Amino acid sequence: MSPFTLRSPSSLDEIGGVPLAGGTDLVPLVQDGLVEASELANIRELLPRGIDGDRIGAGTSLAEIERSPDVPDALREACRLAASPQLRAMGTVGGNLRQATRCWYWRLGFPCYLHGGERCHARDGEHREHAIFGNERCASAHPSDPAAALLALRARVGTTRRTLPLTDLYRLPTDDDRDVVTLERGELILWIEVERPDASAYLKAMDRQRFSFPLVGVAAARFGADVRLALAGVAPIPWLLGSPAELGDAKPLPGTAYKVELADALVRRALDAVATG
Amino acid sequence: MPRLLKTEREVEGRVEESWILVEEDALDQWPAGPLVTVGRPAARVDGRERARGEARYTADVRLPGMLHAAVVRSPHAYAVATRVDLERALAAPGVRAAIGPGDAPGLAAEAGHFGAPVAALAADTEAQARAALELVDVEWDVREPLLDPDEAVARGELHGKPRRHERGDVDAALAEADVVVEAEYRTQTLLHNALETHQAVCEWEGDRLTVYVSTQYIWEVRDQVADELGIPRDKVLVICRFMGGGFGAKNDPGDYTLVAAVLARRAGRPVRCALTRREENIGAGNRNATIQRLTAGARADGTLVALRGEYVCALGWDGWLPSTAGPMQMLYACENVETVEYGARLNTPPMAAFRAPGFVEGVWGLELLLDEVAAKLELDPLEVRMRNHADADPKDARPFSAKNLMECYRRAEPHWERRDDVRSRSDGPWRRGVGLATQIWFGSAAPPSYATVRLESSGRATVGTAMQDIGTGTRTAMAQIAAEELGFPLERVEVLVGDSSRGGYAVVSGGSSTTSTMGPAVRSAAADARRQLIEIAAQRFGVEEGILAVQDGKIVAAHGGSWPVEEVTRLLEHAQIVGKGACGPNPTGMRVLTFGVHVAEVAVDVETGEVRVERVYAVHDVGRIVNPLGASSQVEGGIIQGIGHTLSEQRLLDPSSGTVLTQTLDAYKLPTIADTPPEIVCEFVDRPDAHLTNLGSKGLGEPPIIPIAPAIANAIRDATGADVRSLPVTREEMLRALREAREREPVHTSQPV
Repeated sequence: MSPFTLRSPSSLDEIGGVPLAGGTDLVPLVQDGLVEASELANIRELLPRGIDGDRIGAGTSLAEIERSPDVPDALREACRLAASPQLRAMGTVGGNLRQATRCWYWRLGFPCYLHGGERCHARDGEHREHAIFGNERCASAHPSDPAAALLALRARVGTTRRTLPLTDLYRLPTDDDRDVVTLERGELILWIEVERPDASAYLKAMDRQRFSFPLVGVAAARFGADVRLALAGVAPIPWLLGSPAELGDAKPLPGTAYKVELADALVRRALDAVATG
Repeated sequence: MPRLLKTEREVEGRVEESWILVEEDALDQWPAGPLVTVGRPAARVDGRERARGEARYTADVRLPGMLHAAVVRSPHAYAVATRVDLERALAAPGVRAAIGPGDAPGLAAEAGHFGAPVAALAADTEAQARAALELVDVEWDVREPLLDPDEAVARGELHGKPRRHERGDVDAALAEADVVVEAEYRTQTLLHNALETHQAVCEWEGDRLTVYVSTQYIWEVRDQVADELGIPRDKVLVICRFMGGGFGAKNDPGDYTLVAAVLARRAGRPVRCALTRREENIGAGNRNATIQRLTAGARADGTLVALRGEYVCALGWDGWLPSTAGPMQMLYACENVETVEYGARLNTPPMAAFRAPGFVEGVWGLELLLDEVAAKLELDPLEVRMRNHADADPKDARPFSAKNLMECYRRAEPHWERRDDVRSRSDGPWRRGVGLATQIWFGSAAPPSYATVRLESSGRATVGTAMQDIGTGTRTAMAQIAAEELGFPLERVEVLVGDSSRGGYAVVSGGSSTTSTMGPAVRSAAADARRQLIEIAAQRFGVEEGILAVQDGKIVAAHGGSWPVEEVTRLLEHAQIVGKGACGPNPTGMRVLTFGVHVAEVAVDVETGEVRVERVYAVHDVGRIVNPLGASSQVEGGIIQGIGHTLSEQRLLDPSSGTVLTQTLDAYKLPTIADTPPEIVCEFVDRPDAHLTNLGSKGLGEPPIIPIAPAIANAIRDATGADVRSLPVTREEMLRALREAREREPVHTSQPV
């Protein structure tokens, strides 16, 4: 790890280096040289924090959301089932939306497609945790539970430069741009606004009972007769599922076929869960 | 008088015959059952020190002027370093010494696995050392790695020769069997991940070397380090006061210790070489994966007539072939048995002993196979096991020194009988079931081993040994044994461990041999000290020795007199009573084994493949229990570790490059507290083995991890009708097995739907 300077700017306008809030993902990435940063800017105190009606400050911790009676069930449950209590106390929801994939090839610095290389090593390699959708070029899986919940909740995101639907925050990596988010350099997420559903739920399958990234996470939110479904852990980005039938369009790799079956079961349960109430 | 004896030594299932010098062991065993201190629950004597952070582990050792080492590791699974240039690294800030292939044992130009150590350096800070790694210039001749164990067997790339065992006529017996079951079982590569990573600090003073090391075997570290460095063994002092676990991977000094010793000599400063968590997951040893192709033949009543097993053990670049066929050869009375074991030599990180190596894997295959036989014959799996009980070692008809497996089965019965009730609690997609499996393992004494017990004028006793406490509560058990024999309260006994200068040879904390070996030595040393104390007391009070005893820290006479021990010890002033003791031999001509049964209750979500272990009943037959509290803690720990092995843990490699992919603990999934069963019921037969030493205790460290995986898998079959045959039982394996069961039998009838 190269040494870095940690600064505490007095306003969001003066950020020099890489912004740091909870640091639960960023610090390991810097340690591993996956994010190059000679300077980190601690913006934790500068970010909006807390829950006000339908608006959640980007600096709100997952632990705060998990304990809040004001947020929809899907989001609360997604936070509760994420990580460990220690990580949830530190990690912010804004940072969570931007967390990097757990793909071992990417994390170990293989010259893979997502790192700008020619091919996805996971596709021909070990990929049991990987994607079933959007995986033609890169088979990494997006690890965020809250992102799936927020997608289902028709979230909008406010940044230092614009307001956009959460769906527009994410993009699949392309030959020209390997990033999975559309944020520009220096653009920060400030808040997230959710719509209030009539009912919502988040279900998660993982390798152990707690403290594991989703193999498949399914969020469902019902607005009147309209149910919105979103999935975690199934694509390089949080995945909006237009309808349960779209699971039939999944293109799993040999080692991820089980995720389709898993997603199918969890989607049915999530639909049941939001059917009433 | 010492006797020269021929005895069988067994460590981790490896048996060898050797001459040993043993002291006569004239002590009779204590009566069975709880005594004053032994057999009663005792809190750890060092619990407070550990909980308060006062215990000093190797990871805490910081010596004045100490340097930090970092190791250059191969980025390839198979490559030869044709050039290693240390110049740039040596010129880097803070770097004091650097060594390359051949400069220290373990550093080699031929890198046979990803992460193989090639060079090392030492710097003022750990950050400087790690930064300088980038400056070591290595030119690699990269070769094609061999990663497939079956291919290695086909090519004859093996560690040692295939190991064969044959008795009777398997083909003939299979031809006559009423039922034959053939199946392939697999187990995965597992990583120890002890809390404290492998590490050592080495310091030279003149020609003497002090080694602080996290080890299960300080004596072996002393001998191996001395031999490797070419210095007399008595010039090496090894210290391990407290250690954060080992599970079998810390039985020898390892390259990190030797690297630290060599760098320390070059730099003239103490050197610490500590593996990072990633290095721990790459190159610190593993439980080898297995492929097991097994066949069983049985009569309609469940009697086994033939067993055949081919075991391919994926040992990696280094390692030894553990007895994976041992359970098939020894657990059940079967006349016709044929096994062959291959140790595949692969370009993967080396195997190391891991809590019951071989038997964990072998019992997995055998106990699943047995349940498949029972299922085919529509027999009760517990009855099938009882029917095939071996009354003597089926390999060579040797009598067992003691065997209470039938008692274990009987005790397990009420828990086994819960299964109708458990199944009836199946609810929606959650199917419930019960499974059981038998445990077999070694656990005899492993003499020699020595201890002393010193009484001082304060009236306190100090047990001196050169053993170590791997974290299982050894200090406490030894204190209990000494206190019992001395007639002292527990708090008056101090136990010294973790320093090679504190006693004679002491056994490895491995192979379930610590209590069974050190216990008798400590007891005989305490008996010697007590005898001397009584001799002195008899002279002081002018009475016959024969009427004196020591109870609760007092010398009591048969006629009613009673004096605090201090009244005698005070006379000693600076004189001391030193009792000496040694572990006596194992019984000759007998097989000393441990046994047990686990009954697991599981719930399986048949739509998502989620498996939850809801209850485990465990009963073990390991002779006398010294500390029931420590013993149940061992069993719980073994079960929890085994649940991780069953459901979530697996080391994964990139199939083309051989790179270890699961280097961190988010990828390598140890069980969390949420994965532990809500209920673990733990029992012991607690009957001293009358033929075994003056203590009658066998080892317990390894037995509890042996039967848990097959008990869970058999419960899964009971719950769902699905055969899981590969570990770990991840979602994909569970869903695969469920799919296969549905295809085989579209309507599954053994469960209420």
